[in-house]
Formats: sequence, C-alpha cells, structure tokens
Amino acid sequence: MIMHACVRPLAAASLLALAAGPALAKTPDDQLVIGFSMTNILTLDPAAITGKETVQVLANVYDGLVQLDPVNRSEVQPDLAESWDVAEDGMSITFHLREAEFASGNPVRAEDVVWSFRRLMELNLAQASFLKTYGFTAEAAETAFTAPDDRTVVVTLPQKVNPQLIISTLGIVGPGSILDSKLVMENERDGDMGTAWLSQNSAGSAAFALQQWKSNNLVLLTRNDNFWGEEPAMRRIIWRHVPESQSQRLQLERQDLDIAFQLAPADLNALQNKDGIEIQTTPSAGFYYLAMSMADERFQNPKVREAMRYLIDYKGLNDAILPFFGKMHQRPISGGFFGLLDDPGYTFDPERAKQLLAEGGFPNGMDVTLRALSDDPFLNLATALQGSLAQGGVRAEVITGSGDQIYGAMRERNFEMIVGRGGGGQLPDPDSNMRALIYNPDNSDEARLTNFQGWRTSFMDEELNNLIDAGASEADLETRRQIYADIQNRIDEVVPPLIPFSEVVTSAAYRADLEGFVVNPSWSTDLSTVTKNR
Amino acid sequence: MQTETLKKGRSMTLPGLAPLGRILRFLMRQPTSAFGLAVIALLVIGAIFAPLLATHNPYAQDLTNTLAPPGNGHWFGTDELGRDIWSRLVHGTRITLTIIALVTVVVGPIGLAVGTIAGYYGGAVDTVMMRITDIFLSFPSLILSLAFVAALGPSLSNAIIAIALTSWPPIARLARAETLTFRAEDYVSAARLQGASDFRIIMKSIVPMCLPSVLIRLTLNMATVILTAAGLGFLGLGAQPPLPEWGAMIATGRRYMIDSWWLVTFPGIAILCVSLAFNLVGDGLRDALDPKQMNRR
Amino acid sequence: MLTRSRTRGLLRQAGTIAVTLLGLLVLTFAIGRLMPADPVRAIVGEEATQDTYMQVYQELGLDRPLPMQFLMYLRDVLTGDFGTSIRTGQPVLNDILTVMPATLELATLAILIGATLGITLGVIAAVKKDRWQDQVIRVFSLMGHSMPIFWTGMIALLIFYAALGWVGGGGRMEDYFIGLVPEVTNFILIDAALAGEWEVFWSALNHLILPASLLGYSSSAYITRMTRSFMLDQINQEYITTARVKGLSVRQTIWRHAFLNIRVQLVTIVALAYGALLEGAVLIETVFSWPGFGQYLTSNLMIGDMNAVMTCVLLVGVIFIALNLLSDVLYRVFDPRTR
Repeated sequence: MIMHACVRPLAAASLLALAAGPALAKTPDDQLVIGFSMTNILTLDPAAITGKETVQVLANVYDGLVQLDPVNRSEVQPDLAESWDVAEDGMSITFHLREAEFASGNPVRAEDVVWSFRRLMELNLAQASFLKTYGFTAEAAETAFTAPDDRTVVVTLPQKVNPQLIISTLGIVGPGSILDSKLVMENERDGDMGTAWLSQNSAGSAAFALQQWKSNNLVLLTRNDNFWGEEPAMRRIIWRHVPESQSQRLQLERQDLDIAFQLAPADLNALQNKDGIEIQTTPSAGFYYLAMSMADERFQNPKVREAMRYLIDYKGLNDAILPFFGKMHQRPISGGFFGLLDDPGYTFDPERAKQLLAEGGFPNGMDVTLRALSDDPFLNLATALQGSLAQGGVRAEVITGSGDQIYGAMRERNFEMIVGRGGGGQLPDPDSNMRALIYNPDNSDEARLTNFQGWRTSFMDEELNNLIDAGASEADLETRRQIYADIQNRIDEVVPPLIPFSEVVTSAAYRADLEGFVVNPSWSTDLSTVTKNR
Repeated sequence: MQTETLKKGRSMTLPGLAPLGRILRFLMRQPTSAFGLAVIALLVIGAIFAPLLATHNPYAQDLTNTLAPPGNGHWFGTDELGRDIWSRLVHGTRITLTIIALVTVVVGPIGLAVGTIAGYYGGAVDTVMMRITDIFLSFPSLILSLAFVAALGPSLSNAIIAIALTSWPPIARLARAETLTFRAEDYVSAARLQGASDFRIIMKSIVPMCLPSVLIRLTLNMATVILTAAGLGFLGLGAQPPLPEWGAMIATGRRYMIDSWWLVTFPGIAILCVSLAFNLVGDGLRDALDPKQMNRR
Repeated sequence: MLTRSRTRGLLRQAGTIAVTLLGLLVLTFAIGRLMPADPVRAIVGEEATQDTYMQVYQELGLDRPLPMQFLMYLRDVLTGDFGTSIRTGQPVLNDILTVMPATLELATLAILIGATLGITLGVIAAVKKDRWQDQVIRVFSLMGHSMPIFWTGMIALLIFYAALGWVGGGGRMEDYFIGLVPEVTNFILIDAALAGEWEVFWSALNHLILPASLLGYSSSAYITRMTRSFMLDQINQEYITTARVKGLSVRQTIWRHAFLNIRVQLVTIVALAYGALLEGAVLIETVFSWPGFGQYLTSNLMIGDMNAVMTCVLLVGVIFIALNLLSDVLYRVFDPRTR
C-alpha cells in the first residue's frame, strides 16, 4: 500500500529520463561543426588577437589584400587586391583592389584598407609587432599607407626591406585584415577605435560574419550574403570549445563534430583506421628544440654545445614520441620556406659527444637540470632526452611545471636546459624564424628582449645579426638565397644554444564526407570551399 | 542520564571519551556501519603495509609497457608512463590517510579553540568569532578550497591547508553550542570560585566535555574531505604528478579513457569505496548518538 | 512592544548580513591578491616586451599599497564594477550573467530530480524504519553522496553517450541548434518551448538529463536523510495514531497529515541543498563541457584571471547567504511555532 503511494513520483522521474529518447546524430548538410580549444581566444579584434585559434576563426571573417597559399608556402595569392606591383627601387608597393562589398553592404574602398592599417599601428596591440619589425610606426602610418584613388592602395616602406616580406606579412590574418571603417567607427566607444565592439561583432568582407562569441564556449559564424567570391555551401560554422581530446574524438565518431582540430596523438592513432574519418597532417609554425642557457658558463663553450647536438636521438624522438606532433627537421628554418637548405644530417652519436665534452673540459660529463612543460609531448620528450643525454655522460634532472614556471624561467634567463617549442614561422619567410630563434641585438640583462629566443638563451653572434638584417632587406632573390645559405652554414659552425630537432606539424581529423578542406600551415584555413558530399 | 554520571569531577581523565567504546560496539552491530569500519580498517592496513602490498615501485616508469590492460603481472594494468596502477592505488591510500589525518589534526583544535572561547566568554568575543565563522560558512567547501588553492598555488600541502581552512567552522559552531550548555554547570562555577584561570577552566573542564561530539563531527566530515581532495586533484589543484593521488590519477587517466578504461575505473572505485565507508560509519554514529536509539537496543 | 523588538531584530539581522558581506569582500580580495599567476603576463602574453609589461602593471593599480587597493576594490564593488575579465575582455558581471543561466537550468532540473527522489525515499525509509527497505535506501542514498561526481559523470558519458547513444554528449544541445532560438530567458528549455522549436527542446533535454540526474542523485542523500528524520518525528506523534484509529488508511495518514506537517521544513532543506548543488556543478560542468558558472570559474582559476575568480567566489558567497536567509524567512513565515 505505502509502497504504491510512494512509487508515483519515482515513476514520473524515470519517465522524464526516458522521454529524452535517442540522441540525434549527424550534423546538418549546410552547417559545419568544429571542435577545438578556445582557451587562447581572448578577443576577436584582428588588431589584438594572439595565437593560432583566433587566426583559424578570423581567416573566414576578414579578407586581406593578399592571402598566403596553403600549399606552396613561399607564394601569396590575390584576395581583395586583384594585382599589385613593386616600384623599381623596391621601396613601395601598389595594390589594385577588386570590386567588393563588406558583409554590411558597404563597398570596400581603398580608404578602408588604409584606415585598417593605420588603426593597427595606432592601437599598437599584439598584431602591430608584425609591421613594427620592419620599421612601420604609428607616427609614420599616415605616409606609409596612402590611397591615391578609390581602388588603389600604396604601401611605402619605411626602411630597406625585401618587399616580398611585406606582401607576405599583409597576407597574415591580423596585421593584414581589412575592416569596414564606416561600420567600426559607428560603433566606437571612448576612442577605442571599435575594439570593444569587435569582440562580439565583425566588420569583414570574407565568406562568413561573426554572429556570436561566448568565451570558452563557442564562436558562431553565419554566411555573408554580400561575399564577393563564390557562395559557400555552409550556412553556418559553429566552433565549439571542446578542450579534451577524448571528447573531440567521441563527438567526431558520433558525428556530432565535422572537424576536430586538437586531438592528442593517441586519439589520432585510434582514429586513423576508423571508417568515415580522415586525418590531415600539415606543417605548422615553429619547432621542438633543446635549448641551453649561455648564462651558464659551461654552455659558453662551443664544444659543449656541439656535444649536445650529438646527444639527441633525432630519429627516435620523431618516430616514437612526435608522430602527429612534429616531423624530423634540424635547420632553424621552416619546411617549404625560401632558402631552406637540406638537413645537415646530425645523428645520435654518444661517442662523438663524449669526445667533444672531454675536449671542452668535461671528461666526466656534467650534471644539468632539464625543464619541460608537464604536458604532452614535453614530458615524454624530457624523459627520452634524459636517457639519451645520459649516454653521453650528461646527467639531467628533469624539472616539470606549468608554462609560467618553465617558460617563465627561460624569460628570466634562469635555467640550464629546456625542451620547448617555438620559433616563429607564421609569416612564411625565413626572416620570421631567424628573428624568433637567432637574432639578438642586445644581450644585456636590462634589454629584456624576452620575445627573442636568442636573448633568452643569452646567445649573440654579431655576424649572424648582420646577416639576418641583410637577408631581410635584400631585394635580389639570388643574393638573398645566398645570404640564408650563409646563415645556415654559420649556424652549423657556431652551434647556437638552441637545437631544433623537429618541426611542428598540426593534425586535424574530419568526417570523410567533407570535401575541399585544406588546412593552411599559416593557420588561416579557408572554410568557404568546404562542402559535404552525402 | 549519562552526563549525570560523567560530571562527577573526573575531568582529568577525559571523561567525555568514555562512551566511545560503547559507540564502537553499537557500530559493529549494524551491517552497514560494520562494512564501513571494515573498509576503513583495510585502508589503514593498506597504508601501513603499502610497500609490501604493492607489486611494483609506484613511480617506476616503463615506457615500453604503457597503457597495458590488467593482467600480465599488472593486476590493474599500467598507466600512460607504464607505471603499475595497483601499486599506485595502494600507495595512494597513504596520501588519502595523510589528508584526512592532517585536516582532522588542524581542524579539531582550531574548531575547539574558537568554539569554546566564543562560548565561554560570550558577548563581543562571541559575536566577532561567530561572525568570522559565518563568513567561512557561507561558502560551499569545494569552491572556497578551489579559490584558496588557486591563491596559494597548487600542491598537496596547500590543498590540505585549503580544506582545513574551509572545514573548521562547523566544528567551531558545534563546540560553541556544547560550551554554552556546560558553561552554567555547577562544576564549572565551582572551578571558577576556586580561582582557576579561564584558560584552565576551558582546557580542563570544557574541552573534555565537548570532545566526543567534536570527534564524531570530525568523522562525519571525513567523507567530504576525501571527495574535496579528490575533486581538487581532478582539477589539477591538489596533489601534483607524479604523486599517486586518486583524483589526480583520474584526471590524467581521463586523457586515455576511451581505449584504457582501467586508468580511471580503479581510482574512481577506490574513492567511492572509502568515502562510502566513512559515510556509512558516520550515519551509524548519528544513530548511535541518538539516545532514543541507544536505549532501545 | 512586539513590533519594536521585531524591527530591532530585523535591523540586527541586516547588520549581521552587512558584516558578513564585508568579511566576504576581505576574503575575496585576499584570494585575488594572493594568486600566484601573473595577471599582467596573462594580459600581455608570452612574447611581450618589458615596457608593455610595466605599463599594464601600473594600469591594474598593482603598484599601490594593499589597503589602498582594497579600498579601490570596495569602491568598485559598491558601484557595481567588478572589473574586466582578462580572458574575455568583457566586464566580469556580464560574463557571469551569460554563463549563469546554463548552471541554473542544470541545477534546477537537478534539484527537481533530487527532491523528488530524496523525499520519496525518505518517506519510505521512515515508514519502513529498520526494515530491509530502510537499509537499502540508506546505502543507495549514501552512495550518491559518496561518489566522486566527476568520475561518475565520465563513466556515465562513456556508457550512455559513447556506447549506447541514448543521450547527448557535452554541451547544452546539439551544436548546430545553437543560436537558432531567440534568447529570452537563456534557459534553453523555456526559450525553445516559447519559440515552439520542439526539436531544440528535446535536444536540450537530451543533453541536460544525464548531468542533472547525477547531480540530483548526489544531492538526494541529504534530502532523504532529513525527510526520514522529520517523518519519524511525525510518525511517533500521537495524532498519527489517532488518525489511524479514526480509520484513515496508512497512505492517507502519511501523505495528508505527516507529510503536510513537514513540508515547511522540507522547503528549507531543499533550498539549502540547492546551494550545495553549485559545488557539484563546478566538477560536473568540467566533465560535460557545460558552458556554465563552474566552467567559467575553473578555467579562470587556471589562468589566474583575478577579477573573474574574485567575483565568482563573492557571488557564490552571496548566493549562499541569500539561500540561508530565504530558508530562515520561509521558516518564520510558514511555521506557526516560530511566529
């Protein structure tokens, strides 16, 4: 009796549970659902963005004058500019715009282009550094970017730089993004040039427009009906924050996601042989490296540094730990870039290393600390390096920690050895690698050039600095190629304390029914061409 | 009835602890709380004899045998670095017990001190102390611990401090309530008339009387402590690798969950069992404390 | 006389609350300043120069003395300015208001499930006191209270989503439904129903049911125990015997009399349990990628977003105080004995 009386609410509860029924699977034909981690997305204003994920999103919202080729990395393709020519003296570039409209319906005018660049320099946020490197300043922006007429934009170089470098830089999402000046200024608040407004709205001319951004949750893009190019097949793109690799994998398998961008190697491995799922691996920006601090006296000795070069098991690391993370690479210039020489062919050779160490004054080896992030793959890399270093008599104690603890120590120049990742390369030109990894104009502690790995490792080589500057400004292709060959040979000789052993690659898994999906190594993957073939 | 007999001036020998033996016997009679006691006993034995029970070194990596399923010399399989999960679980009991013990050791005296002093002196002292207690009480313990650990930096010891900081208020409340009932008792007044100092009265006459209920309340709290510690470990804010803390084991195991179920399953069951055991014992204690129940049986 | 003492009581209570709130502020401020993560570095990023770093350092007022910083904080909070989140660049209050509905929707369904389950089981346990039903219920509900909810959530997802496909995976609904329903209340179930988008409604329910059930189950332990003990008090009272003697059925006696008498106490219990749910939500949201308050708090903790963490902690404290107050008031209003 009593049982019966009490059962009713229980039954109601279980009914509620059953009512939900089976889950709906399969994403709709005209919507693309992408899983990735949004932890690094702090803003969607192209002048202020940092990191790869924002570039992935905004590449589909903003056009540049040109765009970086996803396959042939040293080339650029027309975008808002139909064509361009470089002046005889190499000191200015003239871009000719196509007829196009912004998503708002406003026409794309030369005025908008010039305004976008001036805004970038004036706000002086993260993305401005791309142009500042080549001498552009907020003060001189008026003269550097001009619009002689409605369809023409002239960029005047402030110093002698290879114009190709500037054209490539303008193809990067962020510094090169063109904004609808009229729309942005209508939404300006307290002289912020629209920064606040742009975090929730967009003013671009690419295939999609930003509908909504919810931090660590989602970014919603809707088709831009005023797009000047071919109409994309997708009505909406939904970027979902799915930080865990295993969740991305489950959702991809259950067809709740079309593309998964941040899968761990274990999951990529498991997905490799799954029907209906494909994996694309593309080179990306940066390297995995073993770095020493030349603030530590022992590493000022080039013999000791050279010994380390032979204590890295290049093949073992790349085969066992780095599949889907990196690809064997020993030069500090990214694969496919202008001027890259073949790998020098360093191998794991503990005997030679021991000899070098003895010559350097360490016949009995040495004790060092080796720092690594406590994440995949750094922890495993550190463990493996610990083993290979030991064979040469270098006894490494592994210190693991968070980014603050590991890279923080590096920024303070307070470390012995570190296994890390970095080294530029978003701008597809060797100059970007060189500046990130080797260049160091001022080696004093006070300089705090923490964005240069050269400074962080206390490495400064006058000759290399000069060569790097020369390489950036040289206009003639053949001479330039020769300069980068010289740089690489010089590096081989002086052994900078940062030894790359692998080039970063990214792997994305996606449903096999997607067509036209090509991951761009510079992160600016164009999704307007993606269709679903069902 | 019981308090009558206890009051008779035997304050020197912790009179309050006398009924504990009887309570234990009561607990053993109930199947559920007896089960709880058995699991806790196992936990303690496991912690003491961990090196003997473990089949491997809990920290020894074997990168050639990672993510091995249970069997083949590894009863519960191996983790992503080839470490033996059974051995890590066994050594994890020490961490769990340490957390419980340290939290209890910290929380008990603090709670007692605050509660008895507030209750004994009353007035402004009471108001101030209880206000502070209320402030801490106005948070769910996990969220306050989270914030504290974030502030202090993630580590096992900071997790323990954070949990302790969040779990003393209920003890203080209880001790105060108890003190209020004893404060007016004859023997306290007698001690005061004899010229005993306040400190002496609190330590000799009041604290011993509060002790049993405080101890029981502490036991009731242990399951929560375990879950909070595991939750902190899971969020990466508790014990740090390579410590074999169960919550942290689940957090790392989660990355391999689909293919290697054993990484998360066993530590999860361990947490569930231990916290259930403490809850069962706590539930039994609650019954044991209920005079109606005790007399009836 | 009576009203005057009443007013005084109210004033006293208001004073108490004010003091508690001030204490909360001190606590959150301390937590914010103690955070080891470098808030400046979080803003300027890995590769920034020292100049940019110092500029931001001063902008945040970190170069002033602590008491000064606290007064600034107090002033800001009193004027409703909780600062800007480093991560989102939005006012923290806006952020929290956008994530809160997701958590409230989850917690509300959870408390409905938990209260239904807990009260039902509690009544059964009381009626069947010391019989096997009582023991089973005791173990069952303590189990809910003992499980590490993040773990149960993971296992449940593997079973019901990955293997069986009965429920949705992470998130509040199928991703491609996001943004299709106008946001009125931000409670998806209500918004979808208002817009007549039943597909969206089912999708949302489908995603909600698993985390809500787990949370509800875990909170039911407390409700079960309290219900049981309230019911026992009632059952032992004379009027129940009288009612039985007068010929009322067991069922009528239990539900019409005993249950009616404890309903006020139950409401206060449920209100307190609702607050405790927030705690479980922090963990379960991480597992279910639930874009709510818990996830907001934890992800900001990790990167040391001071303003966000301080405000979250403050908010939880305020909610707790409010719920306590609410249960107090309810008790006073409805319970004749305290009047």
